[in-house]
Amino acid sequence: MENMTPAIEIEKLGKVYTRGKEEVTAIQEISLKIPEGKFVSIVGPSGCGKSTFLHIVGGFIPKSSGKVRIRGKEVDKPGPDRGMMFQESALFPWKNVFDNVAWGLEIQGMEKSKRDEIVEHYLKLVNLWDFRKNLPSELSGGMKQRISLARVLAFNPDVLLMDEPFGALDAQTREKMQVELQRIWQESNKSVMFVTHDIDEAVFLSDIVVVFSGRPAVVKEIIEIDFQRPRTLDVHKTQEFMDIRNHIWDLLHQNQGSSDEEGM
Amino acid sequence: MDKRLQKIAAIEIVVLLAIWQVLASLEWIPAYLSSPYVVGREMWALLISGDLFTNAASSLYRSLISFLLVMVLGIVFGIVSGFFKPIGTFFQPIVDVLNPVPKIALLPILMVWFGISDTTRILLIFLTAFFPCFIATKDGVHGVKQVFVWAAENMGASKLQILWKVVLPASLPKIFDGLRVSLGLTFVMMFSSEMIGSSNGLGLGFMILLADMAGRTDLMFVSVFFIALLGFLFDRILLAVRARLLWWSENRG
Repeated sequence: MENMTPAIEIEKLGKVYTRGKEEVTAIQEISLKIPEGKFVSIVGPSGCGKSTFLHIVGGFIPKSSGKVRIRGKEVDKPGPDRGMMFQESALFPWKNVFDNVAWGLEIQGMEKSKRDEIVEHYLKLVNLWDFRKNLPSELSGGMKQRISLARVLAFNPDVLLMDEPFGALDAQTREKMQVELQRIWQESNKSVMFVTHDIDEAVFLSDIVVVFSGRPAVVKEIIEIDFQRPRTLDVHKTQEFMDIRNHIWDLLHQNQGSSDEEGM
Repeated sequence: MDKRLQKIAAIEIVVLLAIWQVLASLEWIPAYLSSPYVVGREMWALLISGDLFTNAASSLYRSLISFLLVMVLGIVFGIVSGFFKPIGTFFQPIVDVLNPVPKIALLPILMVWFGISDTTRILLIFLTAFFPCFIATKDGVHGVKQVFVWAAENMGASKLQILWKVVLPASLPKIFDGLRVSLGLTFVMMFSSEMIGSSNGLGLGFMILLADMAGRTDLMFVSVFFIALLGFLFDRILLAVRARLLWWSENRG
């Protein structure tokens, strides 16, 4: 029975901005169901509103119409049921790594001994336990994002929302992080909604890739990807991978429209 | 500051004092410019008698109370105005109008209300020093990265928790910039506010007024020197507190 309720259900979600006297439709109308435990990526041309879409699901930006349900419960404010990872590091620079990961648990009033146990678990999961006393400013971009992931996982959200978390990293670090993320995701067993503009990244990581059209955004196609897990980077070289990749590339480059504005 | 710079600063001061002394001894400068020796002698006398301390205490009481008010109200008000847009918008015109007014111009009004009293002086100092702290704090809040606030909301923090545990620490570097300007102004205005006279006959600024009336420029120098010393001392204290609180920040020095 419980498998019937999707982890995330989006019903006819729309977003209209008012810019001066003009009304700009960023998201036309999107309905989407994300099954429990699945890794779902959203790709789309830049400025198509995919990031805005994720921020709306996270409750950070108000929507204009439609509904967002997390495990059947309607939401419209941010909350710890959805763990959001941002493109830019959101780690607090005045707290060391350990205290950053403990922050959400402390806010929720969890007792110290239990808190410390959880923080230790997740810092070890992302292989950064040795850096617990360091300040975020002393870490590399990739390390910061791993800490961010640990911080989000620590407060045990129902779903993970990730907004181009590796967007600011160099290509090699990025690939390493993708492999790392797959491992951590498989251990944590969370449902993930992952926004990226990188087709390879989406295909490599996902069970399902959702392709958005240019602004105003609608769902263009939903593609299931069933490479065996855990996947290695070698999967990039298979014909099947390249076929999917090329297909998505074609989708993104059809009638791109006038989406010259940068998204969130 | 590194050792070498400290040495240079010390040498600089000694050389300047020496030049002053030489010029005074040779009587190349008028007598009303006094000399380091006379000023030093008078300062010593005032230190021994304790007069300097009672005057300084009176001045410090006024300026530190004002500075405390500036800190508490400037930071609280700045954070609230910066974080809650409608409140900030509401107060913006009032701040824009009051900020450029030289607050000393309000002195006659304050004196009508409160007479020549410590209330008048503290208010005058407060009104002058409030704005840099308030404006810097508000700017600091505006500069807080949106993702910090979002991340805190995401983890279930309340508005109050976000203000206290995210917005305040994130704007602290800016707040200290404002506080430093405010502290400097506090000393400037302490001086000015005592030149209107003193109800208890005490205060470093009042000492200058008395010395001026008595034609004792040497005493004026003693007072000016002592105010400079206190200003310097408190600036250093503020910097030390900042280094302590902003240990995580790149611009803590």
